[in-house]
Amino acid sequence: MNKPSMRKVGMVTTETSEPSALATAAPDIQIMAATAVGLRKIYGEGETEVRALDGVDVGFEAGKLTAIMGPSGSGKSTLLHCMAGLDDITDGSVRAGDTLISDMSDQDLTLLRRETMGFIFQAFNLVPTLTAEENILLPLLLGGNRPDEEWENTVVQSLGLGERLHHRPDELSGGQQQRVAVARALVTQPNVIFADEPTGNLDSKSGNEVLGFLRRAVDDWQQTVVMVTHDPLAASYADLVIFLRDGQVVGELRDPTADQVHDRIRALEA
Amino acid sequence: MRFQILLTLRSLAANKLRFLLTTFSVVLGVSFVVSSFVLTDGLLKTFDNIVEDANAEVDAEVRASSEFAEVEFTYRPFDESLFETVAAVDGVDEAVPGLTSAKIVPVKGDGDPVQTTGAPILSFNWTSGSLSALTLVEGEAPDGPGEFAIDETTADRDNFVVGQTYDIIAAGGREAFTLVGITRFGEENALAGAVLSSFTLEELQRLDDSEGLLSFIDVSAAPDVDPTVLLDRLTAAIPSDLEAISGDELVEEAQDDFGEIIGIFGNILLAFAIVAVFVSTFIISNTFNILLGQRVRQLALLRALGASSRQIRFNTLLESLIVGLVASIVGLGGGVLLAYGLRALMDSVGFSLPSIELIIAPRTIIAALVVGVGVTMLASLSPAKRAATVPPVAAMRGGFRFGSGEGTRRTIIAIILSVLGVVSMGYGLFGGADNTALLMATLGLGAVLVFVAVSMFSPLFSTPSAKFLGAPLEYLPGGASITGHMARSNAARNNKRTASTAAGLMIGLSLIAMATVVATSLKDSFRAELGSTLAGDYLISEETGPGFSNQLAARVDALPEFETVSAVRYGTIRVDGDEKGVAATDVTVLTELLEVGVLAGDPVASAGTDYVLLTQDAADDHGVVVGDELEVEFAATGKQVLTVGAVYENEFLIGHYIIDLSGWDANFAAGNDNVISAKTAPGVDAAAAEAALAPLEETFPQLVFETRAEFSERVEGQLDSLLVVINVFLGLAIIISLLGIANTMALSVLERTQEIGLMRAIGMTRRQTRSMIRLEAGVVSLFGALLGVLVGLVFGWVAVIAIPESIIDRLSIPAGTLAVYVVIATIAGLLAASMPARRASKLNILEAIAQL
Repeated sequence: MNKPSMRKVGMVTTETSEPSALATAAPDIQIMAATAVGLRKIYGEGETEVRALDGVDVGFEAGKLTAIMGPSGSGKSTLLHCMAGLDDITDGSVRAGDTLISDMSDQDLTLLRRETMGFIFQAFNLVPTLTAEENILLPLLLGGNRPDEEWENTVVQSLGLGERLHHRPDELSGGQQQRVAVARALVTQPNVIFADEPTGNLDSKSGNEVLGFLRRAVDDWQQTVVMVTHDPLAASYADLVIFLRDGQVVGELRDPTADQVHDRIRALEA
Repeated sequence: MRFQILLTLRSLAANKLRFLLTTFSVVLGVSFVVSSFVLTDGLLKTFDNIVEDANAEVDAEVRASSEFAEVEFTYRPFDESLFETVAAVDGVDEAVPGLTSAKIVPVKGDGDPVQTTGAPILSFNWTSGSLSALTLVEGEAPDGPGEFAIDETTADRDNFVVGQTYDIIAAGGREAFTLVGITRFGEENALAGAVLSSFTLEELQRLDDSEGLLSFIDVSAAPDVDPTVLLDRLTAAIPSDLEAISGDELVEEAQDDFGEIIGIFGNILLAFAIVAVFVSTFIISNTFNILLGQRVRQLALLRALGASSRQIRFNTLLESLIVGLVASIVGLGGGVLLAYGLRALMDSVGFSLPSIELIIAPRTIIAALVVGVGVTMLASLSPAKRAATVPPVAAMRGGFRFGSGEGTRRTIIAIILSVLGVVSMGYGLFGGADNTALLMATLGLGAVLVFVAVSMFSPLFSTPSAKFLGAPLEYLPGGASITGHMARSNAARNNKRTASTAAGLMIGLSLIAMATVVATSLKDSFRAELGSTLAGDYLISEETGPGFSNQLAARVDALPEFETVSAVRYGTIRVDGDEKGVAATDVTVLTELLEVGVLAGDPVASAGTDYVLLTQDAADDHGVVVGDELEVEFAATGKQVLTVGAVYENEFLIGHYIIDLSGWDANFAAGNDNVISAKTAPGVDAAAAEAALAPLEETFPQLVFETRAEFSERVEGQLDSLLVVINVFLGLAIIISLLGIANTMALSVLERTQEIGLMRAIGMTRRQTRSMIRLEAGVVSLFGALLGVLVGLVFGWVAVIAIPESIIDRLSIPAGTLAVYVVIATIAGLLAASMPARRASKLNILEAIAQL
C-alpha cells in the first residue's frame, strides 16, 4: 500500500532547516490539499429543511494555514466535517488532494483519514484509557505502523510534552491535552490537518500556544492546516481566512490582522 | 407522588432498549420458575384423570398386600383358584382376573425388540367390559394361543400392523405371534413411553412362566351393595397375605405414585430455575448500577430543583418495581409457553406425555410475582441507596463519580458471608443433615452465600486479573494490537463492573465445573473399583426393566466355555424398620466372581435359606457379628430370622445385604434375574467365549452381553449422558449470564460514545471498533469463566470428600474438559458482545463526538 506519511518523512527531516522546493513553488502552482465543488449539505426535508452548505466552491492550499470563519450557523463546522469525510454530502464533490472522497466507502474513508488527515477537536480529543504517548501514536498504531521515532521526538520536544508522555489525559491540563492532540495530528505527517475550534475550550495563554504550534507546523514543516474558529485573534494566525454565511462563501482575506477579521465578521453579522 | 410516578414512567419510556435489556434476564428467570410449576401441575392433573378413568368402574381390587413403599408395576402373584372365591362373594357384580407381566418383549418387524427410554414394557391379560382400562381401537381382541394386541402409540411408532406375525420374547425364548388388535389405555393412551401388549390370560400365564397365577382381581359392586360393605366381605373371604382395597384407594395410590415421580421431576426443574433466577439477580443489579452512573446529571438536576434524597431513592425503587412487575407478567406468559415447549420436546424424544391441561395455580402466580418483583427490587436496593447520595452540585459540575468506598466494610461482609457459606455447606455434607431436603437446603444456601461472597471479593482483583488475562492481546499483529490494548484497558477500567458482569458466568461455570469434577471422579472411582473387584469376565444384564428369565443362567452355565456362572437378583427387604436393598446370588461362588473382601465367616457355608451376609458397615449398624441372628422382613413372607453367615468389606455392585438364591426363592414371589456374571474356563479366549454366547444373544435380544470393559464403558457412558443433561440445564444460567455480558457491553458502549466517535474520526475502522468491544467482552468472560472453574473445583473437591468413599474414592480433575469449557465460555462471551459491537461501529461519528 502506498504510504504517504512514510514518503514524506524523508523530505521533512532533510528540509527542516531551509525552505523546500515544494514549499517555495506552492504559491505559483497552487497545489490544493482539499477542494470542494458545488458542495451542498441539506438537513431535513420540506418545512424543516436546513441548507447548511449551499453551493460551496472552495480549495485549501497545501502548505498554508487556512481559517474558516462565519457567524453561528453559517456552516463553517459542517464544511470542515464534509471536507474531512466525517459527514456525507447532499450534492457536489469533495476531493482530498486528487482523490474524490465524496462517494468513498466508510472503510476507505477511515483509512484515508488515518493516513492522510490529522484531527484536532474542540474538546474530548483524547482517549481516557491511553497515555499521552499512546494517544499521540494512535493513528499509526491503528494502521499497524511503526512510528518514526526521530520525527515523533521532534514533535514531542517542540510541543514540550517530553515529561508528560506517560501521563493519562485526566492528569494533564487542558492546554497539555490540546498539545497532545496537536502532536497526534502531526505524527503521521498528514496531507492536511483539520482543527475544529482547537482553542475554544482553552484560556488565552494556552490558546496562543496551540495556535503558535499550528503556525510552526506550517512554517517549519510545510504542513497544511484548516481551522474553524470564531475568534478573530485565532484567525489572525492564518495565511488566508475564508468567510461563510448561510452556507455560502462570502469572501476571503489574505494575511489578515485580528482587527481586519473582526471588522469583516461584524459586517457579516450585521 | 403522582409527579414522581410520571417521572419514572417517562424515564423508562425514554430508555426502551435499556428497559428491555434489564427486563429480559428477569423474564427468563421467571419463565423457568413458572414453567416448572405449570408443567408439573398440568402433568399431575392429567395423570390423575388418566388413573381415575382407568379405574372408574372398579370398586375394589384384591391383590397381594405390600408392606413396601416403592413404586411397583407388578404384584406378587397368587393362585388363580382364589378367583372363584372372590367372584362368589355376596354383592360382587362383576369380577375380572388380572395378570401383569414385565418379562415379555414384543419384537418389531425389523427383528429388533421394542425399546423405551426408561419406561416399562408391560403385558396385561385382555379383558373386555367396563372394568378394563384397555379399549380396542382396531382389529380384534386376542382370543386364543398365538394372538396378541399392542397399544396404539407403540404400533404407530414401531410400525406394528394388524394381521402380521411378530416375535415375542418371553421367559422361554422367542415365539411367533399374530397381531390381532390395537388397544388404547384410558382416553389418550398416554403411557409416558411405556409399551403395553395384551394376550389371553392363559397365554400370558404361559409366557410369564406363571401358570395358574394371577396378580390381581378387579371387582365391581352390585347396584344395591355399598362398596365399603363389599370391601369388608372381600377382606373376610381372602387369605391374610392378600388385601382388598377400595377403588378410591387404588386411584389414590396410583396418583400418589405418579405424583411422587412428577414431583421429583418438577423439583429438578425448579432447582435449575432457581439457579437461573440467582444469576439474573446479579445482572439486574449490575445494570441498575451502570444506568445510575449514566444518570448522575439527571439525578443531580432533580436534586438541585428540590427533590429530596428520599424522593430520589423512591424513584429508583419505583422504577425497579415497574420493571419487576412487567417482567413477572411477561415471564408468566413465557413460562406457560416454555412448559408446552418442554412437553413437546419430551414427547418428541420418545417420552410420550399426555397433552397437559393448562393450570395456572395461585401458587404459580405468586411465585412469578415474588421472583420477578422480589429479585428486581432486591437487586436495586443498593443502587437506589447510592442514587440518593448524588449531590445537587453535580448537575452543574460534571465528573461526579460514585465512590467505590466501603471497601473495608465490603471485605468484612464478604468474609462473614463466605464463612457462613462454608459452615452451611459443611454442616450439610458432614454433619447434621439427615434428610435430603435439609441437605439440599444447606448446600444451596451455602453455595449462594459463597457466590455472593466471591462476587463481593472479586472487585479487589478484577482489574489486575483483566490486565493479566488481556496481556496477550497486546501482541496481536498490526493494527489489532492497539484494539487489543484498548480492549484490555477497558476491561480493567471499572473493577466493580467487570467483577459483577463476570459473576453471572462465574456462577454458571462453577456449577458446571463442579458437576464435571464429581462425574469424572465418580467414573474414575468406578473404573478402578471395577478393575479390582469384578472377577467375572462377562456380564449379562438389561438396560432397563424388571429382570429377565432365570433359565438363562442355567443355559450359560451349561456352556463348557464358562467355568463359573451366577445370577444376581436385586430386591428390597426391611431391617430394623428401614428399607434396604438386598442382592441374591449363588453365595458358593460369590468370591470367585466378585472380590467382596470377606472379613469374617464363610460365604460358601452360608448357602441355603437361613443365612444373610452383611458388609462391615451394616453389621456395625445392627450390632451383629458372624453367627448372630438378624431379623429380616420380606414383602412376601414377612419377618424371618436369619443368621449372619459372613461379613465382607466391599459393597461395590452388590450392596450391603446378600442372601443366597435359594433364600430369594423362599422369600420373594418373582424369580427374575437382574444380572448374570460369568467367568470363562481356563484356556478359553474372548473370541471363543463370545462365539459360545452368540446364540443366546440372539434369543434374548433385549439383554446386553458384555465384557467387563464394555460394561465399564457403558456405565461411564451413562454417567456422561447424565452429565450432559445436567450441563445443558445449567447452560441456561450461562445463557442468562451471556445476556448480562451483552447488556453491560451495550451500556458501556453508550457510556463511551464520545471516545468511540473520536477514535473512528482519527482512523479506527468499523471492524477494529467491533473487535475492540468483542475482545473486551472476551477478557471479562475469560475472567468470569476462570473464576467459575476455580470455585467449581473447590465445590467439586468438597463434594468428593463428602460423598462416601465406597462411591467416590478419588478426586479426578478433568483439566482438558475444564479448559474447553473456559474456551467455549470466552468465545460465547465474545460473540454475545456482537450486537453492542455492531452498534458501536455504526455510530455516527459527528453525533458521537458532539455528545454532551
